[in-house]
Amino acid sequence: MMKSIAARLGLAAFAVGLATAPLQAQEYKIGYITDLSGPLAGSYTPTWQGFELYMKALNERGGVNGRKIKISLDDDGLRADRAVAAAKKQVERDDVLGIFGLSLSSTIGPVLGEMRKAGVPVASTFSAILDALPPAKPMYYSTGVAFEVAGEAIGVLSQRIAPKGKIVGVTFDSVGGRAALRHNKLMAEKLGYTWDEIVFPVRTADFTPFAQSAAALKPDIVVGHYGAEQNLGYVTALRAAGYAGPYVIAAYGASEATVKQAAQQSGSGANLYIVSRFAPVTDNVPGTKSIKDAAAKYGLADLNSMHVTGWTLGAFAEEALKKCGADCTRELLDKALQTIKIDTQGLTGGAIEMKPDDHYGTSFWRLYRWDTDKLTAVGDWQSQGALTFPTQ
Amino acid sequence: MELLVSILVLGATNALLAAGIVIVYKASRIVNFAHGELAIVGAYVFYSAGLITQGQSLLLTIAATAAISALFGVAIYAALMRRLVGQPTFVAAMVTIGLAIVLKAAIVVFWHSKSVGINLTRQTLYTFPGGGRLTLVDVITVSCCIAFFAALFAFFNHTRLGRQFRGAAENPLLASQRQVNVNLILALAWGAAVFSASLAGVLFGSRSMLSPQSTIIGLSGLTAALVGGLDSLRGAVIGGLLVAAATYLTARLIDPALSEAVPFAILLIVMTWRPWGIFGTPEELNRV
Repeated sequence: MMKSIAARLGLAAFAVGLATAPLQAQEYKIGYITDLSGPLAGSYTPTWQGFELYMKALNERGGVNGRKIKISLDDDGLRADRAVAAAKKQVERDDVLGIFGLSLSSTIGPVLGEMRKAGVPVASTFSAILDALPPAKPMYYSTGVAFEVAGEAIGVLSQRIAPKGKIVGVTFDSVGGRAALRHNKLMAEKLGYTWDEIVFPVRTADFTPFAQSAAALKPDIVVGHYGAEQNLGYVTALRAAGYAGPYVIAAYGASEATVKQAAQQSGSGANLYIVSRFAPVTDNVPGTKSIKDAAAKYGLADLNSMHVTGWTLGAFAEEALKKCGADCTRELLDKALQTIKIDTQGLTGGAIEMKPDDHYGTSFWRLYRWDTDKLTAVGDWQSQGALTFPTQ
Repeated sequence: MELLVSILVLGATNALLAAGIVIVYKASRIVNFAHGELAIVGAYVFYSAGLITQGQSLLLTIAATAAISALFGVAIYAALMRRLVGQPTFVAAMVTIGLAIVLKAAIVVFWHSKSVGINLTRQTLYTFPGGGRLTLVDVITVSCCIAFFAALFAFFNHTRLGRQFRGAAENPLLASQRQVNVNLILALAWGAAVFSASLAGVLFGSRSMLSPQSTIIGLSGLTAALVGGLDSLRGAVIGGLLVAAATYLTARLIDPALSEAVPFAILLIVMTWRPWGIFGTPEELNRV
């Protein structure tokens, strides 16, 4: 694995850019930073793989504006200092036009601070910071999950599971988790639900007492606002605590693979749901077909919606470069990013569209239920425009 | 009742973790900061052994993991700790911190940071009035803990090697002058410690999930060992139960967000009152 990480880091340019000496000057250089070896590598690696897959296919089609894309890839190990060092290296040495990917707000924030000073636009697949939401702050764009928006969307989508009753929201003690919980609560209460919540420490390994607390509250729905790992542990503990009712996984780094594993580990997939911004690969839409075709061609297996997340960011980057033109600069790229609109071919519920004052756009969320061996959509995509409730 | 069972189960896991720390400390006066990592790596080894045997032979999986764990413990002593004999204890402690980092990296390298669960059994033995379940895994966890401590008791009190171990722990110089193979004793201590860590890791993974973050369970084991007394196996059990009770009762009855801090508050109180722990032996403190 270490060898393969090293190989990926060292040879990403060749793997993706297929560079030859005369063409190098004509390549678009972009940066990608994410956690490939740290605690959340399990979630972020497939996202990178999806992005890489898109770029491989794109370069084989001839690239953008007749120029191929060369990616400078760095692993931040989920550490802010490493992420900042990688970003500076990519800007100063690799001369990238913009930086894509990234991991948590703890790495996005410091990188963004440095990149604003350097005038380099940043586009992430996840967003625990509010800079992308209107009124958007400069140089930052997100095609992924904004916790506040997700919280409100889950509040609305809960009606498809149980139209009334008590929702228990659970998260760990983090800024993003609390933000998601707050907006979920506000939306749930607006829709007539009663609400209770449990916040456990970030470094929790044994979820039993927190699951027992949730079960004791006799909820009609339990929603987990955290990553894949916590969901797996919490679902197991929750079922052991005697709660067999609906459990909703908020897809923050979680995918259909998470749901499947949770079903296996807890002994039953009944009443397991996920709310996702991106379609699972089992959805029969043109976008998933493109991903599967590319994956088959380049030998990528075990696809899930985290790959879809990365692939979508790839499409977003392509459109930005196309719009930026042949003489693309960092400034022009930032300008181009402000008015992008891409059709994701069904990978999201609608187009991803940026505006000068909104670097997130209307997002679409869908509720899926685990049915034996795959996710089945429960109703259509839910559109979420501007936040209903103010942020804190 | 459900709460009591939960405390017992978590207490048993903590006690097993603490036991490994105590065994190494008793034998060598080294505090092993890599115990959580050893536990989770051991559990990942069990998981992989289960995949290799395709779940067909649980006994083979258990035997393979036990053997690998014990041998790994011996190897740690032979390759690392033996070379540090005569060095200040903080050097050895630093080495265990380095070992912890390497082991965590191993989880990334060999298991790709993947979150996995161990499926020993899903059998429910009893359903509590509130709906909570007493599972076979719960019973296995407590039984394994009792069996491990009983085996240690028998070893220390009824075998020649066990008596030599106690002697070497008390006074290594005198023991070596009496022809006791101190290296063998120390290697044995590390083997037993890593075995107990792996056992705790497997039992933990059967109730929760394994991931690089799960190595945090080592902190519960260390807290339990410090509260109970770093050189007391009896203290490991009491410390394990105390830490479990503090964690659970805080999470359930006070505030979940405080559940991480309260065991450390207890540790601070105990350390202030009895720096050597509840059942520890007063000694010249030379701890890191």
